[in-house]
Amino acid sequence: MMLAVAFGQLALVHYLLLSGVLFTVGLVGFLCRRNLIVMFLCTELMFQAAGIAFVAAGRYYFDFSGQVFVIFILTVAAAEAALALALVVLLYRRRPSLNAEDWRDLRE
Amino acid sequence: MDGVLPYIECFALLASLYLLLGRGSRATRALGILGGLGSLAWIYVAAGESIIGGEGVGREVLFMIFGVIAVSAAVRMITHSRPVYSAIYFVFVVLSSAGLFLLLEAEFMAFALVIVYAGAVLITYMFVLMLAQQASSPDNITEAPEYDRVAREPAAAVTVGFIFLTAVFGAIYQGVDRLPPPAGEIEKNIARAEVLESLTKQLRSSIEEVEPSFQWPPEADGNQNIVFADDEGIYVIGKTDAGDHQTVRLGTSAGPRNTQFVGWDLVGRFPASLELAGVILLLAMFGAVILARRQIEHGEDDLRAAVGMTRLFDYEEDDSSDEEGSSA
Amino acid sequence: MILTSCFNSMIMAAVGDGLPETLPVKMDEVRVATEHWWAGFILYMPLISLALCGLCAAMKVKSKLPAWITTGSLLTSFIFSLLLYFDYSGTPELIPILSWINLDWEGGSFAANFTFYIDSLSLLWVMFVTGLGTLIAFYASEYMETDLGKGYTRFFSGVSVFLFAMVALVLGDNLLMLYLGWEGVGFASYWLIGYYYQRPAAVAAAKKAFIMNRIGDLGLALAIYLIWATFGTIQYDELMTVVADGSWKAGYEGWAIDLIPWFLMLAAFGKSAQIPLYVWLPDAMEGPTPVSALIHAATMVTAGIYLVARTYEFFLLAPESLHVLAWIGGLTALLAATIGMAQYDIKRIMAYSTVSQLGYMFLGLGVLSTYGAAYHVFTHAFFKAALFLTCGTIMHGFAGQLDLRKLSGLLKIPGWRITSIAMLIGCLCLAGFPFTSGYFSKDAILAEAFITQGPGFEALGWIAVFTAFLTAYYTFRVWFRVCLGKVEYEPGDDDHGGDDHGDDHGHGHGHGEGFHPHAPRFAMNFVMAAIAIGALVAAVPYFMPNHADEKLAGGWVADMVHDSTARGGLPGLDRHGVPLSEFDAHHADGHHDDHGHAHHTLFGMDAHTAMYVISGVVGSLGIILAAWLHLFRREDADRLRAALMSRWWIAWLPRAMEHKWYVDEFYLALIRTPLWISSHVMYAFDRYIIDGVLVDGIARIPRMIAKWFQPLHNGILHSYAVTMAGGVALIVLLMILFLQFWNVGGAG
Repeated sequence: MMLAVAFGQLALVHYLLLSGVLFTVGLVGFLCRRNLIVMFLCTELMFQAAGIAFVAAGRYYFDFSGQVFVIFILTVAAAEAALALALVVLLYRRRPSLNAEDWRDLRE
Repeated sequence: MDGVLPYIECFALLASLYLLLGRGSRATRALGILGGLGSLAWIYVAAGESIIGGEGVGREVLFMIFGVIAVSAAVRMITHSRPVYSAIYFVFVVLSSAGLFLLLEAEFMAFALVIVYAGAVLITYMFVLMLAQQASSPDNITEAPEYDRVAREPAAAVTVGFIFLTAVFGAIYQGVDRLPPPAGEIEKNIARAEVLESLTKQLRSSIEEVEPSFQWPPEADGNQNIVFADDEGIYVIGKTDAGDHQTVRLGTSAGPRNTQFVGWDLVGRFPASLELAGVILLLAMFGAVILARRQIEHGEDDLRAAVGMTRLFDYEEDDSSDEEGSSA
Repeated sequence: MILTSCFNSMIMAAVGDGLPETLPVKMDEVRVATEHWWAGFILYMPLISLALCGLCAAMKVKSKLPAWITTGSLLTSFIFSLLLYFDYSGTPELIPILSWINLDWEGGSFAANFTFYIDSLSLLWVMFVTGLGTLIAFYASEYMETDLGKGYTRFFSGVSVFLFAMVALVLGDNLLMLYLGWEGVGFASYWLIGYYYQRPAAVAAAKKAFIMNRIGDLGLALAIYLIWATFGTIQYDELMTVVADGSWKAGYEGWAIDLIPWFLMLAAFGKSAQIPLYVWLPDAMEGPTPVSALIHAATMVTAGIYLVARTYEFFLLAPESLHVLAWIGGLTALLAATIGMAQYDIKRIMAYSTVSQLGYMFLGLGVLSTYGAAYHVFTHAFFKAALFLTCGTIMHGFAGQLDLRKLSGLLKIPGWRITSIAMLIGCLCLAGFPFTSGYFSKDAILAEAFITQGPGFEALGWIAVFTAFLTAYYTFRVWFRVCLGKVEYEPGDDDHGGDDHGDDHGHGHGHGEGFHPHAPRFAMNFVMAAIAIGALVAAVPYFMPNHADEKLAGGWVADMVHDSTARGGLPGLDRHGVPLSEFDAHHADGHHDDHGHAHHTLFGMDAHTAMYVISGVVGSLGIILAAWLHLFRREDADRLRAALMSRWWIAWLPRAMEHKWYVDEFYLALIRTPLWISSHVMYAFDRYIIDGVLVDGIARIPRMIAKWFQPLHNGILHSYAVTMAGGVALIVLLMILFLQFWNVGGAG
């Protein structure tokens, strides 16, 4: 155990900033990529960022609920991936395109 | 912390991201890479004020390495024109965040991340990409389709990202002053003692290793805690065979490990959420199965036959359906 | 002469000195007769019949079962009514059936239960209602047979509903139950008038009847409310006590007692088809003929008479209302008779004669001859039912032919003898031919018109006598035309009575050739004969002794009235506990002091005696005139009409009579047209101002605003994501700014 190593505010701020940057990158990717699958990948990236923030905060408080939350995030991400990919497959079967803009008619 | 500084950092970071998103010349991209790395360094320096110093230098370096890998891989992931490469870069992101988790002493989560994300989820993505990916034109199979090459309104996306990032940075910089102090050694020791007390089997074997004459179960004298901890180790109060009260000191290695902590929290504090997570996964599985299965039109009779039923009544055949069938 | 002495004794009784003292005061002797619990079956049987008919409808019964169910149930009701009559001790009694509304609070109460109030008035009504109902249902079993199936069941369900409501109306011990029955019979009437709902005329007639009745119902509702508000109860027995002992006068001020009779009158005029609400009744003949006979001649339309008789005490409290009652009745009688003279549709003639006879009844009520009115109701129920049923038989047999110019010599056609004779009996009674029932009942009214003091009552009496002449004329116009003369007929061009034998003889193109009248069979013949005999026998009760007081005029019928609420209208009976109004003073004057007074004489004779002679002569004159114009020299009738029409100064009269005095047109112009115009104005207002400007205009504002944002909903995932993420980012930013602000504030 490396309990002696202090995990102070400074360290937490670093992790949180990194998490924010990652999240923003994911967000920007989600907004500007057109490929449906890449868009889902970007959401996964955002999940990652959130996970880092959770674990860092948990470490700061020595509270393991942060990590437990990451488990739930993993769960939700896996479920989301399964469903989203199933939907992509379904859409692809109808029209062989992964371009999100090709599915504008879904708004009706 | 200066009020405007973080926003300028954000701006620099996202401006470089914008440069990378646009399909500009090599020089623009290089500028973007340099600008991005530079602004990351700036953020790091501005937040931490010093790179070197203190006992945790090794950790700082590792954090920097993992952080840079993570951010670069993420940027590359959203800028690469081929989705398969995007997925592979995402694996880099996952691996580097696993490294960050290790730095955060979350070993279990780190490996779970690698196994679940890099192993399972990303492979699923890969499969679907392989299934669904197509070339832009039959004669040019190497080139990615247009919608993968050209970003959609990067300026708008970057603007939104800028607003969001400034919001997050602002929150972090303002909130950090009001954060409660980090958990001290006392709280940690209490947590360790509590969890170890619950892990009776481990506790017993550790005690037997150290003091064979210890009478199980441990028994407190008065209203003391049975188990307590300090920096040196963990102490258990109990009786010897002779009937005397004694305190056994266990080594720090006898304490609960990260996985045990997480497991104890998971089942001890969030049992209902755990059940819910199971239900979510089950439903996701159902959903995926139902959505992705190929629609095969079964007649009603087929369905009945499939479950071993026979027709109850013989309805007259509907003529209209026949007509529809013939016209179709 | 025995007869004269008999008359004299009755007239003595009619002017009855000292009667008020001898008449027992019954109101505090009302007893609760729980031993007569079985009287509830009078009410239940039609309901059971309705349920069974509904069952028949559900099971799609295609036989005459509904008719037998209804007839049987009504017969049971009738038998129970008879039992009740024979078990009636002479004092009013209450028979509790069901609890309905029982409210008590500090300082008041409201009770309206399903309790029967049995006195002779309700007994009289319930007996002829259920009796005639039974007979007519039996008649209808044959008459309606062409509609076997759904229509048949619908018809008998309607009859059951009607009987249920009518029994509730007649037997109820409170005004609310009366109101229930009142609305119920109105509904049943609507149901049955609109029986041939495929015919627009029937639908229009049903609506007309319903709307006209609603106007009257409003009056009844208001009257009930005012009665309750003034007297604190709506139960007859308590009302009588309260009105009699005058206890309601404590703390009373206002105009309620002056208004109550007017509202009651409005109700009665609506239901009993008097001016100004009579126009629905002739149109109601669009319904099947048994319905016309039962509801629109014999029973329902007399509900107005019943209502007035039942609430007579309120009329006596405001005597001027009685004058109006008498005048309206007399004028309606005259008006309807003049219209009836000029019609060609025999059923319509009967309808107008019904209106006319109802006018007589109101005249009777108005001139304080309640027993005359009640007796006329009783006799009228029989002879008018007989007339209607014969009309129905003719309609049934001649494929809907009702035009008296196209029917002739029925008496000589085999199979139509009973019909013709029943019709003759009905006509004789209606015309007031001497020694028929109608003769006596009409005299009881006419004579009282001359005896009783009132504004212009003498003129009213002469009007009524003239009307009697007209009645005799138009009645026999029908009979001479249709039943006598040479055999000639044309079938009608529709299956009016549901009679359909078009396959064989195709009555659309037959002028007698190939068309065989469809003679009535047993059920119809039996019922017609029974009711015609009943019409003759109805004269007998006039001579039956009173069981309470031998001196009372009007025999059994007066007996039926004298211990009821309507006894205030019996000759010679004073009201007690009521301040002696001007009218009562006259009344007392006329009846108590000396019956040799000039008021009571006519041509030097006693009024009743004189009236026997006068109305006998007048009736005979009418018959002779009819015989001349419509039997012996039929061409004279046409010539007379042509002569009248060719002279401008008189031509308006026959024209107006043929056009029913343009009352419908008048109503149309006066009421419907303004309503129509205002409804269109309101429609336009609603359509363009409310809907157009307010509703749609307001609704258009968000739509216009939404148009600006509509491009956002473009189906592109990214733009949604940008919007969402940007929104979230903005919100987070705002929150942070606010936090900063608070921080600054907190620090400051």
